[in-house]
Amino acid sequence: MAALVRTKVELFYDVVSPYSWFGFEALCRYRPHWKMDLVLRPFFLGGVMKETGNRPPMMVPSKGLYMQKDLLRNAAYFGVPLKLIEDPFHVMIEKGTIKAQRFLTAIGEKHPEHLEGVSRELWKRIWSRGEDIVEDKNLHLAAKAANMEDVHIQECLKLMNDSSVKLALKKSTEDAIEYGAFGAPTIIVHSKGHQEMFFGSDRFPIIAQLMNEEWKGPSPGPKNSL
Amino acid sequence: MTSSPRIKVELYYDVVSPYTWFSFEVLCRYRSHWNMDLVLIPFFLGGVMKASGNKPPMTVASKGMYMQKDLQRNAEYFKTDIKLIEDPYNVLVQKGSLRAMRFLTAINLHCPKHLEGVSRELWRRIWSKGEDIVADDSLIMAAKEAKMEENDIEKCLSKMDDSETKNALKMATEQAVDYGAFGAPTIVVHTKEGPEMFFGSDRFPLVAQMMNEIWKGPIPDQKSKL
Repeated sequence: MAALVRTKVELFYDVVSPYSWFGFEALCRYRPHWKMDLVLRPFFLGGVMKETGNRPPMMVPSKGLYMQKDLLRNAAYFGVPLKLIEDPFHVMIEKGTIKAQRFLTAIGEKHPEHLEGVSRELWKRIWSRGEDIVEDKNLHLAAKAANMEDVHIQECLKLMNDSSVKLALKKSTEDAIEYGAFGAPTIIVHSKGHQEMFFGSDRFPIIAQLMNEEWKGPSPGPKNSL
Repeated sequence: MTSSPRIKVELYYDVVSPYTWFSFEVLCRYRSHWNMDLVLIPFFLGGVMKASGNKPPMTVASKGMYMQKDLQRNAEYFKTDIKLIEDPYNVLVQKGSLRAMRFLTAINLHCPKHLEGVSRELWRRIWSKGEDIVADDSLIMAAKEAKMEENDIEKCLSKMDDSETKNALKMATEQAVDYGAFGAPTIVVHTKEGPEMFFGSDRFPLVAQMMNEIWKGPIPDQKSKL
């Protein structure tokens, strides 16, 4: 019987991006269904925008209006409890997510088993309950909700301001840009010796096509055991 | 047994846009699957961009690069024979599609039964065979391929520069912008609760969700994956 070669799939994400949340949940759900090695890579979307000359969609007024409907429709489709942010410029641009992404980077280094859970809790705060994700005490709350131990949370809160973590976040962002990223989510499928970059949460049928897998929609259900 | 009224679905389209060709083919294929009244509306994407302050994706270098791969992957997924345009600035921007869209508008006014066929032949010329769609001769050839009769072709060609045709194209474009359009394709689903606008060729699962229909992937007539 041939050895199971799992396809490495990297998800570059920033919790400021709601479409990244959809992509994140879909990929997590497909872990038992696809021969995939999912690697979560927090990066900094602000850095990607700056480097590529891209701009957030809201800069075109009718795109911003459309996005509100599009997000709610996608939330229903993906089964994600999204709530529109009331003051998006303040939350997403003025406050932003550099601290949250540094925190996640630190967790990815020291306690990677918690990276998925804390990412999800941060998304829930900003994109489901309209709660802050800048203050240390709020990062702590997210990590606690993900069942991280206090001592490990403290460790990561301290580490996140180190130059090592700042550099790691910078590197992750640069890696994505090198793959051709201009936004989030950015999904890299490592297939047959080369890398294929996908942007957005609406390319799963095409990703499945590339991976020779089946896309059964955003909620594939539990894997049937034979 | 009473049948429920067909839901009106308008497709605002411009043959300069390859993503619109994918949507066009999908909606045509789904006419026999969904309880839908498909209305094809030629509009002018250049006018939409101007009115909305949007810009084509190629203006961000890494988006342009990504789009080349994305188009080819989508072409395979939608089973449409796309060939990348070798000199996109010249073909898409300098030459553009205003004459082609005026021709289609004239056809819509005077010989609407040929609208679908000639639209398809124009897409084939520009996005499959790399052929011109500006010169009168090019428009005539496309119409002939679509089995339009010579005298009908003459009639539509002669009327395309009329103020009636120009106004109709302008009004279709303004109508789309009123619905919130900022690009192509723009799909408007007229539900009981009002019109719902969708952008792009990657929202069909959400369109189906809204219409209470089933999305069976881009080729609904064959037993295949999503």
